[in-house]
Amino acid sequence: MMREVAWRLFASEYNDATLEMNGGGERAPSYLVTPLGARVNRVFVVGVITDVENIGTDMQPMWRARVADPTGTFHVYAGQYQPEAAAALSKLKPPLFGAIVGKSRVYTPDSGAVYTSIRPETIKAVDESVRDYWILEACRSLRKRLDAMAEAQKMDPVTKEGLMKIGVKEAIAEGIVQAVGHYGKVDLSRYMAMLAEGLRYLLPEYRETGAGEPEPAVASPEPERKASEPDADEEAVLEIIASLDKDGRGAAWEGILDAASAKGVSKDRLEESINRLLDKGLVYEPILGRMKKI
Amino acid sequence: MKEELAPHVHDITRALGNKVSEQEIERELSSYLNVYRVSLDTAKRSIVKKHGGNPASLAVGVSRTLRELIPGEQSVNLLARIVSVNEKDVTPEGQGTKRILYGILGDPTATIPFTAWEPLNAPLARGDVVRVQNAYTKEYRGQVQVNFGVRTVVSKEAPDALPEYTPGAGVGAAYVGKPTPVRVVDLREGASNIAVTARILSVERREVEVEGTPKTVFSGVLADETGKSQFSAWKDFDLKEDEVLRIEGAYVKSWRGIPQISFDERATITRLKPDVLPPADRLAASPRMWIEDLAERGGGVDVSVRGILIDLREGSGLVYRCPECRRVLRKGACRVHGEVKGEPDLRVKAVLDDGSGALTAVFDRELTEALLDKSLDDCIAAAKEAMSTDVVRDELSDLLVAQPVEARGNVTSDDYGLMMIVESAKMLKVDVQAEAREMLEGLEASE
Repeated sequence: MMREVAWRLFASEYNDATLEMNGGGERAPSYLVTPLGARVNRVFVVGVITDVENIGTDMQPMWRARVADPTGTFHVYAGQYQPEAAAALSKLKPPLFGAIVGKSRVYTPDSGAVYTSIRPETIKAVDESVRDYWILEACRSLRKRLDAMAEAQKMDPVTKEGLMKIGVKEAIAEGIVQAVGHYGKVDLSRYMAMLAEGLRYLLPEYRETGAGEPEPAVASPEPERKASEPDADEEAVLEIIASLDKDGRGAAWEGILDAASAKGVSKDRLEESINRLLDKGLVYEPILGRMKKI
Repeated sequence: MKEELAPHVHDITRALGNKVSEQEIERELSSYLNVYRVSLDTAKRSIVKKHGGNPASLAVGVSRTLRELIPGEQSVNLLARIVSVNEKDVTPEGQGTKRILYGILGDPTATIPFTAWEPLNAPLARGDVVRVQNAYTKEYRGQVQVNFGVRTVVSKEAPDALPEYTPGAGVGAAYVGKPTPVRVVDLREGASNIAVTARILSVERREVEVEGTPKTVFSGVLADETGKSQFSAWKDFDLKEDEVLRIEGAYVKSWRGIPQISFDERATITRLKPDVLPPADRLAASPRMWIEDLAERGGGVDVSVRGILIDLREGSGLVYRCPECRRVLRKGACRVHGEVKGEPDLRVKAVLDDGSGALTAVFDRELTEALLDKSLDDCIAAAKEAMSTDVVRDELSDLLVAQPVEARGNVTSDDYGLMMIVESAKMLKVDVQAEAREMLEGLEASE
């Protein structure tokens, strides 16, 4: 039996999925089918692990981690049946870049809502270059499905054979037929925008760099790091956030605003600074309305 | 054609527990038979395997040729001639003495030993042509052996149902019809009467023994623009390195899942101008392949794969091997030779996943030492200090897991999937920004 491939896909597409397919028969793998037809049993995700929390008890821990990519957040759960992954999660000090290999999971409470998550097999701290390469791979993979789905939307009816005839690989063709049957005609522009967003995330020319100061023309040893160094306002805001973050849950927006105006930073300048800090990956929003230093 | 295939389509869908529609199976089966031109049996087994089923649960038998048999098959149907047959009394452990038959079966492709463990309903004599249903195979002294058991039915056929087997007359009957042109990348196990245009990259003469008869085989590597393949020529065609040939009337066997070309006196060799194909150094380059394509064809010779090492498997790092058989020891004991003094070795067994599929990549001691930048002795010392070999494994895991790599080597396949014996590997350095920019520009242009 072939090992299931590890899909590279963005959180936003993953979390859009509401279709679970069981392979049928005993021990047959089950798949989460996304609106673009990815049939996901195993995933490989690299992103920023923004927080790790034990939502179980001390006796029966259940570790939950949130992993952010440019489009959204993956939820990773490891309990007593994933001892290695749970142990690895419990030792992490977020935020950090993390690589996770795991199985797709779907939780459907009675309300009818569908929650997707990942049950990890392997977790490892990595560096930014591994994360950037992952984004590129996720973009390539998304591109393939977008192209195939665009072709599928021209067909009536959509068949696996028809898709394979125009060069779509069997694995993707099968997922697309299932996706079309469940989700109907998906709005591709949303995913096209997601793809562009992912690519731009990798490119320095789309990052806002300080107060319009030009990139250093001379090749310095690490020009990128320099570009992401905070300016005076940002330094001040960073300090405020750090000082207000007493309980580790982040600094509340109201408090930051008060402290900033006390230091002579206007609301507009504060908002701009925070946006730039978010873009540079120096702060993040663990929950709505709270800011935390990375 | 369709009506003939119907029972087989039905057989395949049943073997797959009706998970896959009959229309789909019919389409696949006809593709295997008409496009790839493999035997019906190979096609059926491949389809069942591809969908995750067990080929042994196929029931509607197509007779197999003896050459196709491999050890461990649960149910095979054969049409064969009794080349020799003898009786023998045996006393299996814990049972009474019983009389068994043993001898040799032959068909136009091979001869093979057989044993009948149960009394047959009709006596067998030398020269009889028999139809055998539900026999099973085993390996005995390195050779495939056919066994007739309780479930096996043996019935006699007319003597002309099978041509006389003549040893040494080549491995198969003459081909009928025109050979099918095939590119190297499209070679599939079981295909026969194919035509390949390729350059000989290497060739050597070897003396081998086939069923007790010494034979000369000319083997080596050939290539076209799509890939490389091992070949075996069972006749002296005076093959020379670097020449470009058109080989018509070849067949495809597989070695550990890798399809390879064989040809014999039934083949026609035409020598072509050397500029028909790119020069040898370009053909010798290792083609980059997706794992899903390797999975579909069953492996490949000297291919390159780019992917991520997503996991280290059990038995990676510092291991101890049995001095007798080189198996890796578990808890100081060899599976076959028991407790032995193990010889240290380094290796990595990692899962390499490229987003289209996954394979197990095996790195030998030399490659592992290079990855670690440490010698085997350094690793033994480190393990001694930490009192566990885990330190070596952990270091490899830190180094390799989640890293993009390009690995080059031969890819083989078995029931557990694909395996690459890595010849060379390097960490992949990709200019992510350049690639992202190119893709984004393409995207904006198409809008």
